Amino acid sequence: MEVLVLTLMAIVALLSTVATYLAITERDLLTAVIYSALQSTAYAIIFYLLMAPDIVLVYIPVAVGLYPAVFIVLIKKSERYEGG
Amino acid sequence: MKYERALIAVAIVVFILVLSYAVTLGAMGSTLPPRDLRLLAKLYLWLAINPWTRNLTVMSPEAVTSIVWDFRGLDTFFETAVLYLAIIGTVAIYRGVYASSKSREVPISEDEVGMSPIAKSVTKITLPIVIAVAVAIALHGHLTPGGGFQGGSTAAVILLLVLVVFSLQYSIRMGITKGSTLALRSAGLLGIAVTSILVLILGLLVGCQSFIFQNQPKAYAPVGVPAFLDGMLVSGTLILFNIFECLAVAAGLTLTFILVLTHEEEIRSVMKGDRHE
Repeated sequence: MEVLVLTLMAIVALLSTVATYLAITERDLLTAVIYSALQSTAYAIIFYLLMAPDIVLVYIPVAVGLYPAVFIVLIKKSERYEGG
Repeated sequence: MKYERALIAVAIVVFILVLSYAVTLGAMGSTLPPRDLRLLAKLYLWLAINPWTRNLTVMSPEAVTSIVWDFRGLDTFFETAVLYLAIIGTVAIYRGVYASSKSREVPISEDEVGMSPIAKSVTKITLPIVIAVAVAIALHGHLTPGGGFQGGSTAAVILLLVLVVFSLQYSIRMGITKGSTLALRSAGLLGIAVTSILVLILGLLVGCQSFIFQNQPKAYAPVGVPAFLDGMLVSGTLILFNIFECLAVAAGLTLTFILVLTHEEEIRSVMKGDRHE
């Protein structure tokens, strides 16, 4: 059981790394926000597996709800595509 | 280009795998925390709820909340202060922009503004459910995982959804304005401040020693907030802190979103000096 949990944690952690890389290099900022939310979801799963339900409860609304919302509003007010 | 990006991603993944394997094998020294730290953790767990050591316990089965609002209460107080300084910064940048001034004049119905009826119906159904969950998280903060910040941010998500789906104009007509959220946030902060010195005031009135952020009676400070209310475990100040924090966080985050969602033309006209409140 413990090996299963650790394996799941490792897979989710590597997924979050890939999502972070994609979020940094993505030129379309709206897609980058979605990659960032994907990374946050992976972190929420890790926190849950590490038995920190308090952090999960604050992480889900902030990192999946409020934080992408702020960025989407700011992208709407500025530019969607990164220049260069 | 695609191939190159995939290669870099794989390289990062391999790097992190190797690094974490090295750390697991002991590359950073010992993998376990030092013994004195583990003693502290044991003490926290032992004292979180312990009716036999009444002058040391918090009387809350939730160890995290008892650390956050009792053992390390001042830390949380300053953490809250940092968050509210950020919100005060937002309010200061948008000073003079009162989001309801224009929309108050034109009477609008629900159908004219906002998103489609489907989105509105779904939001109407989920609004009471999410608010109920948020209040439950906050009120059960001293019994189960959760607390004021968790409940408040959950409530803020659905209030943000209301602001976006029903449009800012309609929400302001329904009473979610800058003034009302600012008042609720201030009430929550005032509640936190008063709760933190509640036992100090009690001690001054009775005439015995007491501390700030005191919850249960201590050895030389025999005053405290009752842990049980009508046979129900409320853990003294913890439930008060959670209620006020929930109120302050939900109102504060909603206030930020009201300001951020305000139309650019309105802000620009205020900044040019055409009008001000």
